[in-house]
Amino acid sequence: MTIEDLIQHMDPALWVGNLRARNKEEVLQKLTEVLVSAGKVKNGELILEMLQNREALGSTAVGSGVAFPHGRSVAISELTILVARAPKGVDFDSIDGKPTYLFFLLLAPPQDSGNIYLQALGVITGLVQNDQVREKLLAAKDFDSMVAALREAQK
Amino acid sequence: MTAPKDAQLLVALQDLEQMIKEAEDASKRAALEKMGFPVTGLEELRKAHEKLEARIPRALVSRYRRLTQRLGRAVVPVVDGVCTGCFTNIPSSFTSAVNQDKVVYCETCGRILFWP
Repeated sequence: MTIEDLIQHMDPALWVGNLRARNKEEVLQKLTEVLVSAGKVKNGELILEMLQNREALGSTAVGSGVAFPHGRSVAISELTILVARAPKGVDFDSIDGKPTYLFFLLLAPPQDSGNIYLQALGVITGLVQNDQVREKLLAAKDFDSMVAALREAQK
Repeated sequence: MTAPKDAQLLVALQDLEQMIKEAEDASKRAALEKMGFPVTGLEELRKAHEKLEARIPRALVSRYRRLTQRLGRAVVPVVDGVCTGCFTNIPSSFTSAVNQDKVVYCETCGRILFWP
């Protein structure tokens, strides 16, 4: 999977430029509400429960200000990526103990035979390991800047 | 469309079982850890699974188990009017059955249907 493939699964309606939340629970709740409002999910409760269970398995905040809440559910019909930026930072139980500013939420249906979901997760987590790319993503103030930062990363 | 409570619980159960299965699979677990995701809460998930299963009527869980054993995945989404388990068209009348608060089964493969 390429970065361009990844961008194809992104949507301006699934971009949150100014996420305000006090903790992990609120982040997941608010991002789920965005998925429902954007019409990507009908049953937000199921997605929220799945994401909470995933966090119980181990935090998806990998450090350096970035988190990747993710999982599979029958309640989603296609690979969906939501990107959110929290300028003030949130305690998301990050492995480095620092606040999280950028969230890539990935959801996929269970019948993902090509394992596109894990491939997408691999591409995004790989990208943010690059300090320069991560800085640009953290600084992106709108959907287009975020996509531009991703496109620049593949050059 | 609001999904009936029991169908929702079965979706949650299947989602959770898939998560546990993936975390127990050595290669998938290694892939997650390589991406920087620690897998430390498996026991917590098993407890959550136990609690969730206890909320579902026993007969329904038994049917779910039989379907899982026979077909791999008991609950499948209906996408564009098609059962994604056996790719049969689902009659539109089934949609209204969902509204009547029933768990709906595919007439062809027997899987439990869910409208995502």
